[in-house]
Amino acid sequence: MGPTGAAPPHPDEIGGPAQPLLGVRGLVKHFPLRGGWLGGARGVVRAVDGVDFTIRKGETLGLVGESGCGKSTTSRLLMRLLEPTAGEVILDGQGVGAGGLGRRDYCRQVQMVFQDSYASLNPRLPVEESIAFAPRVHGTPAREALAKARELLAAVGLEPAQFGWRYPHALSGGQRQRVNIARALALRPRLVILDEPVSALDKSVEAQVLNLLCDLKDRFGLTYLFISHDLNVVQYMADRVMVMYLGRVAEIGPVEAIFGRPAHPYTAALLASRPTMDPDRRRTEAPLSGDPPNPVDPPSGCRFRTRCAHAEPVCAVTEPPLAPLGDGHAAACLMALPGSGHSRAPATTEAAHAA
Amino acid sequence: MPPDSANPPGAAPPLVHARDLTVRFVTRDATVHAVNGVDFDLAQGEVLCILGESGSGKSVTLRALMRLNPPGVTRVSGTLRVGGHDMVAASARAVADLRGGLVSMIFQEPMTALDPIFTIGRQIRETILRHEKVSGAEADRRALELLELVQIPSAKRRLAAYPHELSGGLRQRAMIAIALSCRPKLLLADEPTTALDATVQIQILLLLRQLQRELGMGVVFVTHDLGVAGEIADRIAVMYAGRFIEEGPTGALMRAPLHPYAQGLLGATVHGQRRGTPLTTIPGSPPNLERLPEGCAFAPRCPYTEPACLAAVPAPRRPVPDRAARCIRVPDTAQPPAGIAA
Repeated sequence: MGPTGAAPPHPDEIGGPAQPLLGVRGLVKHFPLRGGWLGGARGVVRAVDGVDFTIRKGETLGLVGESGCGKSTTSRLLMRLLEPTAGEVILDGQGVGAGGLGRRDYCRQVQMVFQDSYASLNPRLPVEESIAFAPRVHGTPAREALAKARELLAAVGLEPAQFGWRYPHALSGGQRQRVNIARALALRPRLVILDEPVSALDKSVEAQVLNLLCDLKDRFGLTYLFISHDLNVVQYMADRVMVMYLGRVAEIGPVEAIFGRPAHPYTAALLASRPTMDPDRRRTEAPLSGDPPNPVDPPSGCRFRTRCAHAEPVCAVTEPPLAPLGDGHAAACLMALPGSGHSRAPATTEAAHAA
Repeated sequence: MPPDSANPPGAAPPLVHARDLTVRFVTRDATVHAVNGVDFDLAQGEVLCILGESGSGKSVTLRALMRLNPPGVTRVSGTLRVGGHDMVAASARAVADLRGGLVSMIFQEPMTALDPIFTIGRQIRETILRHEKVSGAEADRRALELLELVQIPSAKRRLAAYPHELSGGLRQRAMIAIALSCRPKLLLADEPTTALDATVQIQILLLLRQLQRELGMGVVFVTHDLGVAGEIADRIAVMYAGRFIEEGPTGALMRAPLHPYAQGLLGATVHGQRRGTPLTTIPGSPPNLERLPEGCAFAPRCPYTEPACLAAVPAPRRPVPDRAARCIRVPDTAQPPAGIAA
């Protein structure tokens, strides 16, 4: 599943396969907390607090983290369901927003599938109408849009004659999620944001939907941002993985590097928190204690230091930048940054890459 | 799925003894056959995980153990004894008295299971005073002890906290404290870690395992997550369409499941499969519990179905002494345990 899929190039293709499909620079979203004196703000929730990453053409970027880490806010910012406080989003070389790509053109190319398959469908529309809705808004004649909707239903494994006229309540969770996927594909997008698409499904159905997502990716030449709290699923689906903690990127890199040699202690703890399938090798100690802190008032310096076993005084004063470790692997930890002042930091950049 | 017989003389009676347990929900429009003949014994201090997908009857089975299914529409039949008490025939009042001291439950969503308008301390105190004859001061002292037992930091201050002031992990610990407040012999847990973050889930699982060992409780733990079952269970029962279709020790069952449904479930669970190779799936969907198929309920989805599968519900078959599966393809070679008439 390299950057060039089997599908022909997308009509919106501009920059060639080497140019990232999506670039995000300095993305920030602060939510004001109301209820202060005279109704003023009494602080801000730093949901996303300075995030940079790119998504390459044809890849699946996995996004993992715990509640409050900003993964859902990030997805909603990318979908433009929220206006960012600061930062920019670049789609295939074109800026998005004022002076750049308009909302209509952007949303045609970026679509989303949500976790709650029922809440994200209009309960008063037959599902084929739901799928045809966006193309009609974008100017496709109604009859054509409906014909296309039925084709998409077939593509996601639902017999159009049997399921097309049904309302969402008459479908099972797995079937509804297939409809949501079909709807996301109706505008022929390039990037599909999958926000916990299988978390609400039973295991046997989850596997069906994951297989479907892999098939569709090849067939339509898609790029995925796959958000999940289930590390096993991310390991199976993703080419690269981004780990977020309290609104910042903790670590990003190829899936083999993240799962094989995690450089950030938070990534290591997340991996070690996975329940084993083998009762003879049960965990005896929890890798982390406590819950993730509140993003209203994140710790100074490194945000993970309050739960980190290797925290030193320097971690409280220096906010770690993403330190490159080679092969696109980078971690925001002073232990990975040469000369950071942390006792476990490598002496030189070469030493860091060798680690 | 032990043989249908009384206990051998001399052995300690099991904490839970269920035979042909059946739960139906009867309304004017429909009858839902949620649990269709479940047999199991749980020994004191044993942890049984009931593993199943939504609609398999796992939560209904659990709720039957302390009669929490909605009165009026629920019809229970068969034998169900918890700590020697008949949970099918006992009066509502008698069952209410058994809750807390004999059997108690922790739920999936602590925010909805805890009362939002009372402090954590008050909710523990209330539970203790309802079930035991102790003074208010003694109940308060026990409440503090319990919060320390479930490892809530600054326990004294947290007694005065309302549920919304706690994080998800602390809330779940507070609910465990309430469930343990009258020292139950049997703890029921309905997906207690499903709503928690990964790093918190493992903490709660370890806490439950430690408390179970220290207090010697029997635990029935319901989950859809194989990994969670692997961390906590001594034995696993896989449920499908209201029946235990397979039961056995955790390690053996997870390494080599016998029943085609259990095999499919294990294959469909993502755990280290190679990327690029499609996952195993189980075709179709679970049966409608209003109209169960004749014979094996899994037959319509099973790759090995033959006419005999449709004739009658397969009886449990035992290839080795402590494992059983309701599938006609499983060899029935093991003798029933000594001392038990078949």
